[in-house]
Amino acid sequence: MIYVFDGAMGTMLQAAGLQPGDCPEMLNIENPAVVEKIHAAYIESGADIIETNTFGASRLKLEHYGLADRAKEINQAAVKAAKAAAAGQAKVAGAMGPTGRFIAPLGDLDFDEAYAAFFEQATALAEAGADYILIETSIDIQEMRAALLAAKTATRLPVICQMSYSEDGRTVTGTDPQTAAITLEALGADIIGANCSLGPEQLIPIIKILAANCSKPISAQPNAGMPHLINGKTIFPMSAEAMGAWAPKLIEAGASFIGGCCGTTPTHIAALKNAVRNLTPAIRSKQAPILALTSRTKTVFIDKDLPTRLIGERINPTGRKKLAEEIKNGSFLSVKKDAIEQVHAGAAVLDVNMGVAGMNQTAAMRKAITEISQLVDVPLAIDTSDAAALEAGLKAYPGRALINSVSAEPERLEKFLPLAKKYGAAILCLPISSAGVPKTAQERTALIEEIIAEAQQFGLKSGDFLLDGLVMTAAADANAGSETLETLRLYREVFGYPTTMGLSNISFGLPNRPLINSTFFAMCLAAGLDAPIMNPYDDSMQNSLLASAALLGKDPNARAYSMNTVNQNAPKKAATAKFVEMDTLTAIKTAVINGETESIAALVETALGEGCTSEEITEKSLTAAMNTIGIDFGQGRVFLPQVLLSAEAMRAAFLKIKEILPAQNMQNKGTVVIATVKGDVHDLGKNIVAALLENNGFKLIDLGKDVDAETIVRTALENDADIVGLCALMTTTMVQIDHVIESLKAAGSSAKVMVGGAVLTQEYADQAGADAYAHDGVIAVNLAKDLLKK
Amino acid sequence: MPIYNAPLKEIDQKETRRYAGLNKSEFNSKAIADACTEVQLLAEAKGIWQLYDYIAATGKVAAVPPASIEGTKIRCHLALAEKVIFMAVTIGDTVEEQITAHFQEGKYSHSLLLDAAATTAVEQAADAMEKTIRQKIVPQGYEMLWRFSPGYGDWDIHFQPEMIRLSQATNIGISLTESMMLLPRKSITAVIGLVPNQLAPSAASEHNCQICSKTDCLARKK
Repeated sequence: MIYVFDGAMGTMLQAAGLQPGDCPEMLNIENPAVVEKIHAAYIESGADIIETNTFGASRLKLEHYGLADRAKEINQAAVKAAKAAAAGQAKVAGAMGPTGRFIAPLGDLDFDEAYAAFFEQATALAEAGADYILIETSIDIQEMRAALLAAKTATRLPVICQMSYSEDGRTVTGTDPQTAAITLEALGADIIGANCSLGPEQLIPIIKILAANCSKPISAQPNAGMPHLINGKTIFPMSAEAMGAWAPKLIEAGASFIGGCCGTTPTHIAALKNAVRNLTPAIRSKQAPILALTSRTKTVFIDKDLPTRLIGERINPTGRKKLAEEIKNGSFLSVKKDAIEQVHAGAAVLDVNMGVAGMNQTAAMRKAITEISQLVDVPLAIDTSDAAALEAGLKAYPGRALINSVSAEPERLEKFLPLAKKYGAAILCLPISSAGVPKTAQERTALIEEIIAEAQQFGLKSGDFLLDGLVMTAAADANAGSETLETLRLYREVFGYPTTMGLSNISFGLPNRPLINSTFFAMCLAAGLDAPIMNPYDDSMQNSLLASAALLGKDPNARAYSMNTVNQNAPKKAATAKFVEMDTLTAIKTAVINGETESIAALVETALGEGCTSEEITEKSLTAAMNTIGIDFGQGRVFLPQVLLSAEAMRAAFLKIKEILPAQNMQNKGTVVIATVKGDVHDLGKNIVAALLENNGFKLIDLGKDVDAETIVRTALENDADIVGLCALMTTTMVQIDHVIESLKAAGSSAKVMVGGAVLTQEYADQAGADAYAHDGVIAVNLAKDLLKK
Repeated sequence: MPIYNAPLKEIDQKETRRYAGLNKSEFNSKAIADACTEVQLLAEAKGIWQLYDYIAATGKVAAVPPASIEGTKIRCHLALAEKVIFMAVTIGDTVEEQITAHFQEGKYSHSLLLDAAATTAVEQAADAMEKTIRQKIVPQGYEMLWRFSPGYGDWDIHFQPEMIRLSQATNIGISLTESMMLLPRKSITAVIGLVPNQLAPSAASEHNCQICSKTDCLARKK
């Protein structure tokens, strides 16, 4: 049977006299007859399910009208009105809309606060006798998770979860329908759907994807087309007939619950009802569920017929003292760096372990999961033996996580399985029992059977399991490798679920561990390993994976393998080959021009060893190089980052000369006092000019940014400055330049003044009385030299 | 929905090259990738926005107390707008501190690339927030104009205190110096006009460098 929902409530309330700025939900109490009348009109049009006037009746929304404390009363009155109108002819869905805020870290709303508000609302709706809880128009999966968890905990009613998708096929915070369907089904949604934002036409592809990715009934409640604003009013243009004409297509796409959102009226609902009267739900293809993990924005499937998925193991403080120390001190920089880099290295899932001795894992896990999921879009595995840390991680995670791990130990089963079910997570099954680690493949398989049987008791099912093959040390047990391989084969034969394991244990105590690891890895892949937990930075493992994929038919025509091999064998740039014939001074010059900081110190050392003086090196190599760079920059052949690389090379050269000849007075072309003027906090440009001047032989006194005139004048006089360099980036601070120049003159300074910065021009410099205007750092060096010649 | 802290899952390397003044020239792509990753790690993106009614004929923003937008180019830009959104975005101070620290260590080039990547990051955070706003306002029948900030065209930079007030930017840690500079430095305030979609089929065009008077800008799009 096809069920028909009602249409818009807000539009109808406005038509009935609701004033802008009034709380629509307050009418449930103040004028229930109006609400009842609207419900009655929809029922008369053929609605099988009507939605309560409670879209904005969570405490968080009612707060805007100062009505937060009346949430319970308002929701219960709404159900009462709906039930009165339904009179047994229609079911009542208690509607819950968004809070209007984003949950942290995307916004400032705490997950628990959102949960509490939805819990209160769902409780009130259920107590008053609603038949369903309908969470709708949700634009963020995390808010939907909070609402669904609250509804499932507060009531026993079936929960309908409808998200709102934009024209790009994603929700506002980036969730695609596939990811939503998988995440919400795992979390226990009873009906999954989409409403609002789009018209029926745009909703069809979304409904198709929802239907293909879950086994729950699908609901669709489109707007009456895409809106126009006419005289300040939002008008939805689609007629009831046109809307009705789309209904069969929505049913064909997979919807079996259908209704209307913004702009739809009882006429639209009548047209829908009419259109679906003789239709039956489309037959949905039933595939065996495969393991899917999701992040906020992405789904990753793990299965024997799919490419191998790497689970990155690096976010784990075990054996990483520095990382452990950082996590203990509350810094997650290295954790975040490992997250980004493992994904760049090809990890499809990231394992997150916060097991630092002597530290509260719960807070660390919550923070790690929150921060990592803001940074990367791969799904996460929560790796802990601590149930509180696990729950904190699962709650914070805006997707379907993997729990690493559930063993056959009674405590794990009791504590972890309910959490897996509640938060819709998949589990990594580890064949270890209280009796210890089983040696044979048969024993391991038996333990996995136990875990799965127990998990099924808690409601987990096919598609929720990833099986660990268990790797023991080959040096301690000659059969360790072959038993693991046999375990993988047996798992596939007995269960057919995907497999995982950490590999590096195998080589413990043996020489040349990378060889053992990569060889064993290849064997495991052949035996049926689907998702190894490994270090994605390990080249030998990555190469082994590429070669194995080509050999096992997972890389058609060995394309990825060939591409990679070609890249690796490509000749490296022979950057230094042509300099071999050069004399050392020319080599230094060339190295500076090319910005080869790493080779410069050795070259300088050689030159000094060959008897060159520091002046010779400065003049013939360094200054000459900067002149060339300056000309190339001026003509647009090189750009600022390259100039700065050359300056870095110059700096390295000067540092080396100073190190070898500490007594040598370095050449001093003149003293420059430089500053960004008062009120201006930009200093990168000024720093660049200072660095270039310094590395061209000037003595620099850099006063920093936001420097007042008095300090600049005093420093110039005290140091008998030859040049004062002033920088201003904005029209508001530019006038400070005039002020400093006046002050310098008044104090009797003879220093030349050079000015620059984004908003400055030659004209401005002239009127302010500056001696020179430098458009950029390279010009500044030339001008400084010229100024001191005069 | 006033607060949105955009996730930065990638810093655009092409934009970073543009802000570094590299455009299409050859440069060590690993150095650019490294700068982008470092900024991604250090950026703490935060954003906030507020919606107001707007009367284009007078430039009045219906805030309490009301605000008034002056400047020929900005008034012209908002001529069809019925509502305006004032937004503010920042990526925080940590990146800024690192840029300075790297420079002091003599990593001039890396420091410059980091600065460029940070500019890219704050623009991306603003773009991401605009996207969430768009998805909220398009279903109401509006199109969005591209964002415009004081200091561009002839819109006086001294409007910044009003930008801070109207966007409520202090809630995300943005403040203003006496010289109208935003702190943290990598922050943006802007106004976005909302135009009824039937009036403005093409009003929501891309930001256009040609309107800007700063013709020697390092990052100007040709």
